[in-house]
Amino acid sequence: MKKENYRIIPTAEPFFFPGGPTGCLLVHGFTGTPKEMRLLGEYLHGRGHTVLGVRLAGHATQVEDMIRTRYRDWLTSVENGWHLLQGHTERVVIIGFSLGGVLSLTFVASFPVAGVVALATPYEMPHKLAKALGPLILPISKILPTKTQKDAKWFNPEMKKGHIYYPKAPVRSAYELSRLIKRMQSLLPAVDVPTLIIHSRDDLSVPPVNGEMLFKHIGSQDKTHIWVEGTNHNLVRDGDTKKVFEPVASFVERLSG
Amino acid sequence: MVKQTKSQHIIPTGEPFFWPGGPTGCLLIHGFICTPRALRPVGEFLHQQGHTVLGIRLPGHATNIEDLMHTRYQDWLASAEDGWYLLQEHTDRVFVVGFSMGGSLSLLLASKFPVAGIITLACLYDLPSKLAKSLGPLIVPLSKVWSKRKKEKGGWVIPEREKDYLAYNYNPVRQAWELILLLKQLRAAVPHIHTPTLIIHSKDDDYVRPYQAEMLYEQLGSEDKELIWIEGSGHIITRDGDPSQLLKPIAAFIERISTSGMR
Repeated sequence: MKKENYRIIPTAEPFFFPGGPTGCLLVHGFTGTPKEMRLLGEYLHGRGHTVLGVRLAGHATQVEDMIRTRYRDWLTSVENGWHLLQGHTERVVIIGFSLGGVLSLTFVASFPVAGVVALATPYEMPHKLAKALGPLILPISKILPTKTQKDAKWFNPEMKKGHIYYPKAPVRSAYELSRLIKRMQSLLPAVDVPTLIIHSRDDLSVPPVNGEMLFKHIGSQDKTHIWVEGTNHNLVRDGDTKKVFEPVASFVERLSG
Repeated sequence: MVKQTKSQHIIPTGEPFFWPGGPTGCLLIHGFICTPRALRPVGEFLHQQGHTVLGIRLPGHATNIEDLMHTRYQDWLASAEDGWYLLQEHTDRVFVVGFSMGGSLSLLLASKFPVAGIITLACLYDLPSKLAKSLGPLIVPLSKVWSKRKKEKGGWVIPEREKDYLAYNYNPVRQAWELILLLKQLRAAVPHIHTPTLIIHSKDDDYVRPYQAEMLYEQLGSEDKELIWIEGSGHIITRDGDPSQLLKPIAAFIERISTSGMR
């Protein structure tokens, strides 16, 4: 069969790098792919850790697949990854970017992990219109299944070129996202695992106040908030990523004792 | 059947599993409406043999049936691809072991990706439901009013084993159409597959009847292919009857291909 019959977009596949006793579970963002977490994954593997970058249900194939998914499917994709790692590592640290951060924070409310990292993660639904519409999105999505996403500003245009995502976002999924965020908000005060929050002051998609709100509402005693600059939302690829990767690795290593 | 409450999470014991080991990776794919647990004993055996073992969970499975109702066969295929990618980067070769519909997915995966060998267990090759086949695409509108169908009882040689078998108690109606589409694609792909293949089927399988294994064997393009019959088990050959009789031929097949220097 021909190459175009691959379901998963080449280079956007999930990845596993075996390493030490600490497993890092990497979760990508809304309409994104495991590729956006790969550089961080390679960095963490370079520091000696076991790394798994999951693919969320409906992502990295074609947008029609994502339209059908519910936030529960994204959560069970994360759960898959946790089960795959915890069978052969001593501890799991979960690291999520954007939607991946929301999923990670929601996940740790129900599953034992050593720590959680939320990168450029929203505390409130970033799309104001979607938030205002609420369940009205459902009938709208029948007529308008997808909507072209705004062209995001990148500080590093080279990295933008290689970025793979669905240029059209499923309208229905905005509703799923807002429901998931609500669920995360209600769970956050009860979360009590070491937490690292990293946000860019220059984040235009998920404004910096979201990082502050997460930090304020999470129940964890052991919590750290780090600011970076010179990157827009996608701080795992844009700008000086070392400023994100290094504190993540240090956090992982502190938890590894 | 194990009792199920509407689960937000993966049903306990139905989780996917991953056990790193030697340079041979074994990707285990479960069947329609069942869970990774169906292949866990095979996985444990292969890991004891020194292999790296990954038992994936297909989308919509091992949670609750509503999740399965909005999946399509493309989602199951993509999930099989996930498994291949997770294994191939750090193993020398990947074998795919698929049970029932997992066998269909294994063959389709091998038609696109370089796998070292395929092992199908009670492989689904032709949809057993005549009703579904005659309805064809009409299944889709029908499923809006009739979303799930109680699974038929029976079919086990050792009925007590069924109590301990984890699967949905219902078949989602819509997904019968997905199976039709998947199997159509499978039958088109099979003559072009040249991967070494081991087909294991029970003569007493009264659900996916033995003729299916014969059809698959006949139509498969592989020069290196083998059909092994077992007896004393219904369709669920990984649990019913004497599942240990599967292990020897599986181990021998993997050993033979791995040492022949083929990839």
